[in-house]
Amino acid sequence: MYVLTIVSQEHPYPFAKGTSLLEILQDHGLMIESPCGGKGTCGKCKVAIIHGAVNPPTDEEVNHLTDEELLQGIRLSCAVTPSGDLTVKLLDDAHHKHAILTDGYMPGFDMDPLISKQVFDLILPTLENNLSYQALIEDLLGSPLPANDPSLLGRLPEIFKADQVTGIYGGDDLIGLEPGDTRGQLYGLAVDIGTTTVVLSLIDLTTGRELGSETAINPQKDHGLDVLSRIDFARRKARGLPLLQRAIVDCLNQLTQAVCHHYHVSTEHIYEITVAANATMMHLLLGVDPTSMGRAPFATVFSKQQDLPASTIGLALSPFARVYCLPGVSSYIGADIVAGVMVSQLKETHDNVLFIDIGTNCEMVLSKAGGLSSCSCAAGPALEGMNISCGMRASEGAIEGVKISDNAIHLTVIGGTAPTGICGSGILETISEISKVGLIAKTGRIKKKKDLESDERLKGLAQFVTDTDGKRKIIMDSTAKQEGKRKIPMDSTAKQITITQGDIRQVQLAKGAILSGVYALLELMALTMDDLDEVIIAGQFGTHLSVDSLIGVGILSGELRDKIRYIGNASKTGALMCLLSGQTRQTMEKTAKGIRYFELSTKDGYERLFTRCLTFSQISK
Amino acid sequence: MTDTQEKLLQSLSDCVVDMDEDKATEMAQTYVDNNFNAYKAIDQGLADGMERAGKLYEEEEYYIPELLMCSDAMYAGLDILKPHLDKEESGDKHRVVIGVVEGDTHDIGKNLVKIMLETSGFEVVDLGRDVPPMDFVRKAVEIGAQLIALSTLMTTTMENMERVVEILKEENQDNIKVMVGGGPISPGFAKKIGAHYSKDASKAVQLAKTLVQEAVPC
Repeated sequence: MYVLTIVSQEHPYPFAKGTSLLEILQDHGLMIESPCGGKGTCGKCKVAIIHGAVNPPTDEEVNHLTDEELLQGIRLSCAVTPSGDLTVKLLDDAHHKHAILTDGYMPGFDMDPLISKQVFDLILPTLENNLSYQALIEDLLGSPLPANDPSLLGRLPEIFKADQVTGIYGGDDLIGLEPGDTRGQLYGLAVDIGTTTVVLSLIDLTTGRELGSETAINPQKDHGLDVLSRIDFARRKARGLPLLQRAIVDCLNQLTQAVCHHYHVSTEHIYEITVAANATMMHLLLGVDPTSMGRAPFATVFSKQQDLPASTIGLALSPFARVYCLPGVSSYIGADIVAGVMVSQLKETHDNVLFIDIGTNCEMVLSKAGGLSSCSCAAGPALEGMNISCGMRASEGAIEGVKISDNAIHLTVIGGTAPTGICGSGILETISEISKVGLIAKTGRIKKKKDLESDERLKGLAQFVTDTDGKRKIIMDSTAKQEGKRKIPMDSTAKQITITQGDIRQVQLAKGAILSGVYALLELMALTMDDLDEVIIAGQFGTHLSVDSLIGVGILSGELRDKIRYIGNASKTGALMCLLSGQTRQTMEKTAKGIRYFELSTKDGYERLFTRCLTFSQISK
Repeated sequence: MTDTQEKLLQSLSDCVVDMDEDKATEMAQTYVDNNFNAYKAIDQGLADGMERAGKLYEEEEYYIPELLMCSDAMYAGLDILKPHLDKEESGDKHRVVIGVVEGDTHDIGKNLVKIMLETSGFEVVDLGRDVPPMDFVRKAVEIGAQLIALSTLMTTTMENMERVVEILKEENQDNIKVMVGGGPISPGFAKKIGAHYSKDASKAVQLAKTLVQEAVPC
């Protein structure tokens, strides 16, 4: 055993020989981003080696790190295997502020929560009426207690110390008993488990009012940012599946504690939790092996709604609490999307409505007057700020807005600080702007500096393009430029922020994937882009993508400008509606059955469609 | 070589780079009508154009759509020229088996590599997508391929690449080299499983050429 020391932390961490630094850090719960799951492809898990023996830099590290970084001892933790005691410094500030979307549009519906309470005056046993507690209660309630539940029987002595008993019902079934009259304390939780973020809301089931929400970054992300990395982790790593399940259950318990503490509610008085999530997150929550979803034909183990005792997965709520998992359709069209379909009322519409949830996997559902078909496309993480040379998540220091006018680039930075990178919405807006002003051609290629200089209209913008050995970049950060002289940034965080040709290609891939999905679905339903009456954008990332940049990049056509609507976190809204209405659950279960799924990658001519959708010109059919 | 032939060769090459399918057909027809040697038109005209396109791709000047349109022009010319090839000229190429590994159906990257290999003089047998590891080995042995090229976009199916390398060893066929590529693949992964890595379609050609030169001819 060796010992790992972290600069500015007193606590030493023991580790076994032959373990990668990333694994050591993660095993000890030290937050470090590893979007690719330790494969050496993302270059984000940087640390500085201060002291100790490690392997020389690998090819991946030489690729991802600059010479200066290597000189400073900065390494990718996934590629470092220590061969002795080690001291490192963590570079990334794990306490960046994240704004997580908790709300969204909700259609009207009638409240009829499944959980209810009824109070009874107790009849105590007497010598003449010497019945068991169980028999007395069953007489009183007029129904048998749930069979074979010793924990419920164990509560009876406590109950018989009071004058009254409260029966807790799930639908018509008695699910639990509490001493006294607890009718005033009836709460539930509505949860959205995203691959990246988790949102949990506390709901008063008597009034239907949402008291408040708590949010967190999904702790499973330490084991891979996207669903495939997690599936791979669950399968490959010994005890990987229980580890992922534990991570999300712990997270939900912590959020519950936090929100209950804030609103002075006891976790004991939470009787139901409804969960919307994508299929992988749902499998992991229930501890079900997701391996089959990671390879063709991408079968799920389950897609239907699930209703089980919350204690079976380790949720610390009322001992009688239930978990309701919303129904999904397939491995890609999970409960989160079905929730979105329901919230958008796609089944009830008489119009042609397109629903898009934009993320690493982009799912879309097209309603042709209520007839539903869906597809999913691998957009890649570019729109979330990943796989982009200066990409970062939407947190403090991220460029989120870009405007080019009067030969200047104007930036909006989250938190108003100096920019440290560009987040997904910033990337999209940047590409939209540089395409609009003509810094790039329709093919996506950055124009030559000398061509820009000789173009009367564009010469003012030529200063932003660097052209070294044919590798062109656009410099985004005007403050760095004003310092004039070239210099080598010694602090690895103070690098110049640029958009490379490769970054533009990543966005083109994302755009091509999404747009080709839209066209394929339209074709399947015998519709054209012009036939669309409405486009609904859902989800955490979609919300931050402006109409201007969606159209500017060409993900949506200009004619749709006035038909685009954002509905926010529809996944959580769907969970909330299911918590408050049994009728909604039935509608949702029926809706899930009616969604047709359509596999894009095997469609005839998909490759041609995809490549047509890569360019920055409106494509004609 | 006459001036006319030289001009036509240059123009065939340009048609490919300029993505002009119609003109490529026309030029190839003119070339054939002049009774010039068809093999030369492919080698020094069309293939030369694709090589230039590959170079532009590497220089980031061209991207996937341009490369595909170049290949459209190339194949259009090829259709005209092929029937006029002498038999011995079309034979004896290095053979490659290519495909997307089992569990994955994303094949655009694989198709690009296939096009680039074909235009660089390889004979490519494409097994398509979602291909079991054993099928790669069987086909490679059957046709005497020196190289197997594997692609995947999904983290979860990478291990099937390793399976191919293992099976080759088990079957004592490890003189057949394996090259890998795709979204989640890194040089380190390739090295670990005993395969060779290429970053994109253009690099794949250079790698394939190096690998078959090292390989013992079957």
